[in-house]
Amino acid sequence: MSLSLRDMLKSNSLLSGTSACPGCPENMAMRMVGMALGNDVALIVIAGCSSVIQGLAPRNSYNFPVLNIAFAAGPPAASGMWRAYKQRNKNTTVVVWAGDGGTADIGFGSMSGAAERNENFIYICIDNEAYMNSGGQRSGSTPFGAYTSTTPEGKKENKKEIMFILMDHNIPYLATASVGYPHDFVNKLRKAKQIFGFKYVQVLTPDPYGWMFDPSKTAEVGKLAVQTCYWPLLEYENGKLTVSPESLHCLEKSTRRPLKDFIQVQGRFKRINEEEYKALENYIDSMWEKIKKLMK
Amino acid sequence: MMKTISGNEAVALAVKLARVGVVGIYPITPQTSIIEKLAEMKANGELEAEIIRVESEHAAMASTFGAAVAGVRAFTATASQGLLYMHEMTWWVAGSRVPVVMVVATRAVGAPWNIWDENTDFMSERDSGWLMAFASNPQEALDLTLQAFRVSEDERAYLPMMVGMDGFILSHMKTNVNIPSQEDVDLFLPPRKQPFVLDSENPVGMGNIFPPIEYMRLRNSIHEAITHSEEVIKEVGREYQKISGINNYSTLNVKYKLNDADYAVVLMGAWAGDAMEAIDELRQKGLSVGLYRIRYIRPWSEDEITSALKDKKAILVIDRATSLGRGGPLYLELKATLHHDQMCGVVSGLGGVLLNKGDFKEIISRFVEKAKQGNAKGVGWYYPKGGKKIELKSPRYAEE
Ligand code: SF4
Repeated sequence: MSLSLRDMLKSNSLLSGTSACPGCPENMAMRMVGMALGNDVALIVIAGCSSVIQGLAPRNSYNFPVLNIAFAAGPPAASGMWRAYKQRNKNTTVVVWAGDGGTADIGFGSMSGAAERNENFIYICIDNEAYMNSGGQRSGSTPFGAYTSTTPEGKKENKKEIMFILMDHNIPYLATASVGYPHDFVNKLRKAKQIFGFKYVQVLTPDPYGWMFDPSKTAEVGKLAVQTCYWPLLEYENGKLTVSPESLHCLEKSTRRPLKDFIQVQGRFKRINEEEYKALENYIDSMWEKIKKLMK
Repeated sequence: MMKTISGNEAVALAVKLARVGVVGIYPITPQTSIIEKLAEMKANGELEAEIIRVESEHAAMASTFGAAVAGVRAFTATASQGLLYMHEMTWWVAGSRVPVVMVVATRAVGAPWNIWDENTDFMSERDSGWLMAFASNPQEALDLTLQAFRVSEDERAYLPMMVGMDGFILSHMKTNVNIPSQEDVDLFLPPRKQPFVLDSENPVGMGNIFPPIEYMRLRNSIHEAITHSEEVIKEVGREYQKISGINNYSTLNVKYKLNDADYAVVLMGAWAGDAMEAIDELRQKGLSVGLYRIRYIRPWSEDEITSALKDKKAILVIDRATSLGRGGPLYLELKATLHHDQMCGVVSGLGGVLLNKGDFKEIISRFVEKAKQGNAKGVGWYYPKGGKKIELKSPRYAEE
C-alpha cells in the first residue's frame, strides 16, 4: 500500500480551531488517523489532552462521533460499541484513543482484557511519555532519566514497554509509529483496519511542552527518536515481528545515529549525568537485542 | 406461564424477553447465576444478545455503556464490591443520560469479607443519578427489570435504572413466578429510543468538556428527569398490568394494612414478608400497625410517602443499610420528608443477620410502647437473639 501526499491531504478528521497547544503532536496524529481510516469511524477518547483539544461543548473539533470517557473505561466501551454496531449491521471502525498514562498505568488492565478477548477495534496509544494534560507528571511510559514534575531528580526506572507485553497477548496486529513518519503511521493504521480483532498501534508523540523543545520541531524530534533508535518502528503480525524500513539501521549498533542527538534537543534530560546517559544507552541496546531475538 | 424459579433466573428471563442487544458480564456472588443463566441461554441459541465476558465490573459497566451509546439495549448486573468498583462508571452513564438497566443482588461490603445480604451497596448509589427500584420477591425482580427498560428509554427519563434485590434471599430463593409471553412483552416494550446514538453518519461528541454553567444545567436536568420519572413509572406500571395481571404497579410504593393503622413501619426489600406476618399477628393482639414498603428510592415520591404516613401517630423505619455515623439511609430520607417528631429508626440485618417474624414482632411492639410514651426518637441497632434459620415464604402482594 503506497500513499501519495495528495491522498493524505483529503482527510478532514480534524476541523479547524482545536484547543491544542502550538506544535501539538496529538493534533498531528489525529489528522493522520483521518487520512488512514476515512470517516466511518467511531472514536473513544479517554481522559487526556485529547479530551480538551476537542474544545468546549457543544463545539467539537473532531470530525468523528466521539465518546469521551474515564481512563480505564475506553477498551470495554469499545468492546460494547463494536458489538452494538455488529448487531446493527454496521461496519464502523471503532478506535480507542488513549495516552500513555491511560495505557501503561490506569487503563492497563482493561486494555489487556480487551486484547485477551480479541475485541474488534483499533487501540491507539498516543505516547508522549508523561501525563501531559495535568502538567507533565511521570507515567509508567516515561523513560529513564527524564525530568517530570513528579520526578524532578529524573526518573529512576525504565519505560514500561507495552508493545512487548502485548505481543504476549497473541493479538493479530501490533505496530509502533512516530508522528515524524506520517506515511508509515498511516500505512500501519490502514493495515490494522483490514484485520479483524484487537489491533494495537503505539505512536510516539513528542510533546514540546513536556519534553521542552521548540514547538516548531515536533516532527523533527519524532524523526530523531527513530533515527537514534530510541524509538523502534515495528510491526507484529501473525506472530511475526518485523522492523519497519526507517528502523532497519538500528539492528546493528555501528549504524545507529548517536543517542545524544535525540537527548540533546530536549530539556527533559538536561540533568542526566554521564553514568545515567550510559545506563539509558545500555537499555536501548538491550531493547534492540530483544527485538533481534523476537525476530528469530 | 407460571414457573418455579429463583430471583436471578427471573432477572435473566426478563433480559431475554426485553430483547437486549449486549450484556457485559463479570461474576460476583450472589449475582453470578444471572450471568451464568444468560451465558447458558446464549449457548443454547435462545438468546440473541452479544455477551461480553469482561475483566472487571468497571469494564462491565463501561461495555454496557458503550453498547448503549452505539444504539442497542444493554444490561449488566453486579453486587457489593463489584458495584463499588463500577461506581465511577455508574456516574458516567447517568451523566450521559443514556438508558441502561442493571440489577444489583445486594450484599455487604468488606472489610471484613462477608458474602451475605445487606442493602448498603445499593443505597450508596443514591447520588449517582440512576433511577432505583428495589424488589421484594422474585416476581417483582422480573417485573421491575422489564419495566426498567421501558422507563429508562422513555424520553421524559432517558436515564439509567437499577433494580435491587436482596442477595441470596431473593437471588437464590425459588418461588412461583408468572412469566409474561414474548408477544406480550414485545407489545409492552417498544424498540429502543435514546437521545443520541453515536453514528459516523452524524458525528456528535459526547462527554467533552462542559462550561461550568452548562455542566450545572445538565446536573439540574438529571434532577428534573428523576423527579418527573414518577409519572412515567406509574404509567408504565399501569401498562404492565395489562400483560401481567398483577395490579400493584400503579403506585411507586406499597401499603399493607396501613390506611387504618395508627402506627407505621417503613422498610424495603425481601423482609417485608416477615414484617407483614408480624403485623398480622400484632393486629390480632389489637395493635394498630401497618406497613409501608418503599419500592422506589429514586425517584423518591414525596407526595405518595407524605400522604401515606403524615397522619400516623408514629413511624418506625427499619434499615438493612447504614450511613455510618448517622443511622440508616431510609430513615434519613424519611426524616427529611416528613419532619415527624415521633419517628425512630432501627438498623438491623447487616451482613446476613437474619430476622424472623418474632424479631419483627419484638421490634414493632417495643416501638409502639415507646411511641405511646411520646418517646419514639433516634436510631437503634437491633441484634436478633439466638441462631435464626431462613424461612422461605411465598410472595405476598396484598396492598391492603
Ligand atoms: S500538552 Fe502536549 S499533547 Fe497536550 S495539547 Fe499541549 S502539545 Fe498537545
